[in-house]
Amino acid sequence: MASRFAPRLFLRRLRMRRRAQPISSLHEASAESAGVGGDRIFSPSGSWSPPDFHCISRVFFSARPSLLDEGKGPAAIDYPSLLPEEEFHRLADETIHELLENFEEYGDAIQIDDYEVDYGNHVLTLKLGSLGTYVINKQTPNRQIWLSSPVSGPSRFDWDAMSNTWVYRRTKANLFQLLEEEVGQLCGQPISLR
Amino acid sequence: MLRAAGRRFLRLGLEHRAPTAAVAARGYHERVVDHYDNPRNVGSFDKNDPTVGTGLVGAPACGDVMKLQIKVDDATGKIVDACFKTFGCGSAIASSSVATEWVKGKHMEEVLSIKNTEIAKHLSLPPVKLHCSMLAEDAIKAAVKDYEAKKAKLAAGNAETTQTEKVASA
Repeated sequence: MASRFAPRLFLRRLRMRRRAQPISSLHEASAESAGVGGDRIFSPSGSWSPPDFHCISRVFFSARPSLLDEGKGPAAIDYPSLLPEEEFHRLADETIHELLENFEEYGDAIQIDDYEVDYGNHVLTLKLGSLGTYVINKQTPNRQIWLSSPVSGPSRFDWDAMSNTWVYRRTKANLFQLLEEEVGQLCGQPISLR
Repeated sequence: MLRAAGRRFLRLGLEHRAPTAAVAARGYHERVVDHYDNPRNVGSFDKNDPTVGTGLVGAPACGDVMKLQIKVDDATGKIVDACFKTFGCGSAIASSSVATEWVKGKHMEEVLSIKNTEIAKHLSLPPVKLHCSMLAEDAIKAAVKDYEAKKAKLAAGNAETTQTEKVASA
């Protein structure tokens, strides 16, 4: 990771020599999204903090144009329009915990063989024995909650601030509603998750 | 008495089978392993070729990126060849490999009806890996969309040239 520190030194020297010179931004690398269904292409990993990234990329661009190729690889995430990570975690964790509690209560109320609710590493697994297994987890880079259902297969829910719910854009399905309908039908007893 | 006998039988069976059963429960299905060991149609077409449609889906941050390319016969609209390159887990690789196998020889409209559930069933994907099959379905759709967009662009370009020629000769 030597390249991380050298630019900062360079930046200091650069600032001393060329105070008036404007440093152009590297954000033209951003818009290459060809993803289907709202997925983002080549987004940098969630562990990068935005300020550092911008700082380093500016130095590269203004000082060494040849390194532009390196920086151009993954397209930058459009952070301002994305749900802030902290808020995403708060909302998603709240939702998943709510589901966990409700599924546990439901399990006590009904009699299904091998009914099991499992929660670990932010992944919620609902086993309904031979009826199938549900897996609900967070997909942080996309700010989505992913669901795998034995009835409707995989779906990806985005947070809809307008309705305060998680919505699957392709079908407009609401996460809680979908689970209520499916689980209620599978187990033969209505369940309320909201 | 029957129940006791049954239990005894089960215990015997379990003792013999326990180790292998545990491994099988956590392992990949043999079809997935097959696609992983003997991947079909790995490769790349020239994406600038007008008969090639390229579908690129996923994101490295999520752990899966799939590039699926189709070569289409302009006259009949049939897919004559397909190839893929996938970065991801065994299930993702197998899903995209299966996708390239299934689209070959089919008409473009036909492949749009390939569902992720079919791919998942074929590979016996476990619940957590259903998302891989969805990505493969998306890759097929993206490839077809890309080809059609290219075709439309070319057609528009040709129409313009003929118009300019007409004006020029008038």
